[in-house]
Amino acid sequence: MGIIRMLAFILVLAMNIEARPISYSGGSTLMVKSDNLSNSTYFHYSPSFKYSIGLEDFDNKLYQDDINYFRFTYLLNRKNTLNSQRNLYFQSGIDISNKNNNFYGAHGDWETRRWFAGFGYKKVEGETNNGYENKYLQFGVAPYIGDYGDFHTWLMVKTKKSSLTKNISTFPVLKFFSGDALVEVGYDDQTNWDLHLMYRF
Amino acid sequence: MKKILLALFITSPLVWAEEGSMNMHHHSHEGHLHDKMVDGKNLEVNAERFDKFMEGIVDMNIAIVSVQGMVCDFCARGIEKAFLKDSNVNKIDVDLDSGKVIIAYVKSKEIDPDVIKKMILMNGQNMTNLQIIKI
Repeated sequence: MGIIRMLAFILVLAMNIEARPISYSGGSTLMVKSDNLSNSTYFHYSPSFKYSIGLEDFDNKLYQDDINYFRFTYLLNRKNTLNSQRNLYFQSGIDISNKNNNFYGAHGDWETRRWFAGFGYKKVEGETNNGYENKYLQFGVAPYIGDYGDFHTWLMVKTKKSSLTKNISTFPVLKFFSGDALVEVGYDDQTNWDLHLMYRF
Repeated sequence: MKKILLALFITSPLVWAEEGSMNMHHHSHEGHLHDKMVDGKNLEVNAERFDKFMEGIVDMNIAIVSVQGMVCDFCARGIEKAFLKDSNVNKIDVDLDSGKVIIAYVKSKEIDPDVIKKMILMNGQNMTNLQIIKI
């Protein structure tokens, strides 16, 4: 199967899917992300399981922008079954000090206790960066099925593309979580480290 | 892409954690453990897990909640947190394998199925069935 067909297949699968940018009602979450293009620290609160609001300190490494976004994420659709859950989210953000800096996009995921698939699209507009797009696809498998409260491990593959660099990079990602803490670590020789830490309060 | 996102918004069925068909059974039973029957049906639990949960429990009302969408430990945390805030809840167990949440309430607390259903929904999952036994 050619890479294009494989990606198309993955995209079709991913479009049926979702992620966790919204907590349970009344919950809040701290997320820290770092990759070759940006560093981000994001804290959000979920008044309802349908949406979250939060603040993000976003540092664009390429343009050396440091933007403080007010963010809003909305659950467009969720499907629960006994063995799976899928979600589709709308995401957006606006610079607190300059409304011309903003972004919007969508992301989704689908997961069972064994399999995971997710995708994301983000369009960023700003005065200093001329606008750019980021996209990713992510797939994973749990090598073992842990019980509630156990240490959980996921082996994943992530493909991402940014219009800033024009490169498509595909690399392995390890995801671990236990209790309220989650760590995701990826590495690619083109884009180096891709880190994501999350703690849910 | 703006058009796609706009279309997404408009056409999204906005189907929130859909509320599946729900059966609720209320019954008081003497006796104990997983071989109990509610409305002629065995308790829908993992026997070994349930027996372990019940160790040391006396004079309690037990709710066995069937939940859809509880596939991830990280995502089920909110259920445990929410129920444990209730001072009437003595103990809770989340079984991801069978999609069951078992909650031990103090005897004086009358279990309200609608409250449990709402609390599960607030975590983004759906309650599909509820069995209640009195120990």
